[in-house]
Amino acid sequence: MDHPGTHRGNGAGFAPPVGASAIEAHGLGKQYRRGWALRDVSFRLPAGRVCGLVGPNGAGKSTLMGLATNMIRPTTGSLRVFGAAAGSTESVLRTAFLTQEKPLFGRFTVAETLRLGRELNPRWDQEVAEGIVHAGRVPLKARIGTLSGGQRTRVAFALAFGKRPDLLILDEPMSDLDPLVRRELMATLTAEAAEHGTTVLVSSHMLAELEHICDYLLVVADGGLRLAGEVNELRAAHALLDIPGGGSLPAVAPHTVIEPHHDEGRPGVLVRLGAPITSGGPVTPPTLEELLLAYLRAPDAPSLIAPSARVGDIHDIIARDRQKAVTV
Amino acid sequence: MTTLTHDPAHTAPAGRPQHAPGSRLAGPRLGGTAWLVWRQHRAAFWTLIALTLLCVAVMVLLRGQVVDHLDAHPQKSGGLPPDFEKYTVRLFSFGGYLGYVPLLTGVLLGAPLIAGDLESGTAKLVTSQSVSRLRWLTTKLALPAALITLSTAVLAAVFNWWWSPVKARSDTLEWTSGAFFDVTGVMPVAYALMTFAVGVAAGMLLRRTLVSMVVTLGIVVAIGVVWDRFRLDLGNLVSVSTDKGVGPGAARPKLPAGAVQQGEGTYFLTSSGARLDWTTCLDKIDNDRAHTACLEAKHVIGWSIDYLPISQMHTMQWLGAGIMLAVAAAIVTFIIVWGRKRLL
Repeated sequence: MDHPGTHRGNGAGFAPPVGASAIEAHGLGKQYRRGWALRDVSFRLPAGRVCGLVGPNGAGKSTLMGLATNMIRPTTGSLRVFGAAAGSTESVLRTAFLTQEKPLFGRFTVAETLRLGRELNPRWDQEVAEGIVHAGRVPLKARIGTLSGGQRTRVAFALAFGKRPDLLILDEPMSDLDPLVRRELMATLTAEAAEHGTTVLVSSHMLAELEHICDYLLVVADGGLRLAGEVNELRAAHALLDIPGGGSLPAVAPHTVIEPHHDEGRPGVLVRLGAPITSGGPVTPPTLEELLLAYLRAPDAPSLIAPSARVGDIHDIIARDRQKAVTV
Repeated sequence: MTTLTHDPAHTAPAGRPQHAPGSRLAGPRLGGTAWLVWRQHRAAFWTLIALTLLCVAVMVLLRGQVVDHLDAHPQKSGGLPPDFEKYTVRLFSFGGYLGYVPLLTGVLLGAPLIAGDLESGTAKLVTSQSVSRLRWLTTKLALPAALITLSTAVLAAVFNWWWSPVKARSDTLEWTSGAFFDVTGVMPVAYALMTFAVGVAAGMLLRRTLVSMVVTLGIVVAIGVVWDRFRLDLGNLVSVSTDKGVGPGAARPKLPAGAVQQGEGTYFLTSSGARLDWTTCLDKIDNDRAHTACLEAKHVIGWSIDYLPISQMHTMQWLGAGIMLAVAAAIVTFIIVWGRKRLL
C-alpha cells in the first residue's frame, strides 16, 4: 500500500521547470477488441500550457486522456507525466482528471464532496476548492443531486482544482452547459490555471471557445495525431489563400493543400505553407477554428508536429544539459 | 486493519476547524477511504446495525419467556414441560429467519457495493483522486466485512444463548437443522462473508446494480441448496448397537442427549457385524413366527442406529466455516487482482 501522505512536504513547490514536459508519449497505442483506438502516438506537452485536444467522436481523445490518467493501460508504448510513469504515485498525485460525465456522489452534500477531496488527496487545498464553490454561490449544505448542471460542474471543478494538480485533464467539461455558465466556468478554469501554473489538457467540440483558452493544440483523428504544437505556431504555418478552389494553380505549388475552403465566411484554400508567400495575393492566417475544421474535414492530410511537441527534440536536450550543468 | 486507523496525512491542514459534515449521525470518526466508504454506504450500515440490535432485543425477550416457563414448570426427567411447543417453534422459526442473513448480506450489501460505483461512474471519481485503487478496494471490502462479522457474530452468540436452555432437552429441535447449525457459532460469520464476497464479485463483473443483485440472489440460493445437501457430510457418523435380539421385549439402542439420528432408520445388526436395512423381512411382518425365523436365518442379533452426537457440532461448524472462508478468500483475491487491473 502506498502512502501518498509522505509526499506532502513537496506541497505546492512542484512548480514545473521551464521546458519540462507535462506529458510525454512514446509510440503510444491502445488496441481494443474492435481495433486500434490509438496507434503509435508520440508527442510532448510542455508544462504550463493550456492545451486543447480536438478530434471527431471516436478519434481516440478519451482513450488518450484515459491513458494519461492510468484509467486505461496502453497496449504499446508508454506515457509519462512530469517524467513519472502514468499510474505511479507521483504522477497520480500531480494529475487531476475530470471525466465527461463528471460523476459525483448524488447523496453527498457539497461540503462532503469537498471532504472527499480532503480525505483522499494529501495535497488538498480547501481554500482553493471552497473559493471555486463560493464564486458560483453554490451552498455548501446542498446535496449534489439537487444542483443544476452548471453547479455540479463547478463542484467537480472545485474537486479537481482542490487537488492542486500540476496537470489537469478535462474531458468535454462544458458539453452539457448553457453558454452563460460555460463562459463563467471557462473564466474560472483559465484564472485558476494561470494562478497556479497548472498545465491543462482539455478536450472539446466547442472550437470557438477553445480559441479563447488554449495556447497549445493536439488534434487526433482515426487514432493518430494530426496536429500538435503551439496555436500561434500552427496558425502561422498555414494560410488561407484567396483563390478559387482547385489546387492546380501555380501559386499553390510549394504549399500543401489541406482543404479547398468553401466556408460561409471567406472563400479560399487552406494550405500548409511550404515556402514564404511570394505572390502578391491577399494572405491571411486562418483562425484556430478554420484550421481545426480544415483538419477535421481532411483526415488524410499529412500530420504536422511542431518542434516543441516532438519527443526527444532539441528543447529537451537543452533542458537536460542545462540541468546537468547545474548539478555538475 | 490499517485502513481503519486514522492517517494523520489525511487530516485537513492545521488551524482549520474539523467539523465533519458526515458525522451528523454520530458515526465513527474515520479518515481517508474509510470515511468515504462509511459515508457512501452509511444507510446500509446503519440498517445492518439497527436490524442486528432489533433481533438481539427480540431474542433476549423471547429467551426470557423460555427461562420463565422452564422455571415455572420444573421437570424431574430433564425433558421439557408439556405445552412447551410454542417456545420451541418460535426458536426454530427465528433460527430459520436468521438463516436468511447470508442472503441479505450478499444481495443488499455485496452486490451493490462496487456495481453502484461502476454504474454511476463514481468509481472513476474515486480512482482519479490520489489514493491507490488497491487501497480503495481494500477499504471497500474490509469495512462492510468487519460490520458483517460483528453483526453475525453477535446474532450467533445471542441465538445460541437463547437455544442453550433447551439445547439437549428437546427431541424435536435437531441441531443438524440449518436453523441451528447455520446460525450459531462461527458458521453465520463465514457464510455471510462468503455470500458478501460473491455479491461483490458479481457486481464488479456485471457492473449493474439490479442485475448483479438478481444474479447474486440466484447464486446464493444455489449455494444454500448445495450446502443443505452436504452439510452433514462434514461429520463422522457414530453407531450405537444392541446385541440382545430384536424381539418385542428387546431394548432399542438409546441415543445420547442431543444426538440426531442419521441414515435410513434403524438397521438390523447381524452376528458378523454387517447391517441390514429396515426393510429386511418386512414382507413377513404380519406373521411373528415367520418374521423371527427370517431374521434368525440372517443371523440378526440386534439393532444398530447411526447418529451424529452434538459434540461434533463445533468441529463440523469450524470445518464448514473453513471451507466457506476459503471460498471467500479466493473470491476476494480475485476481486483485488481483477479490480486493480480491469476495473473501470
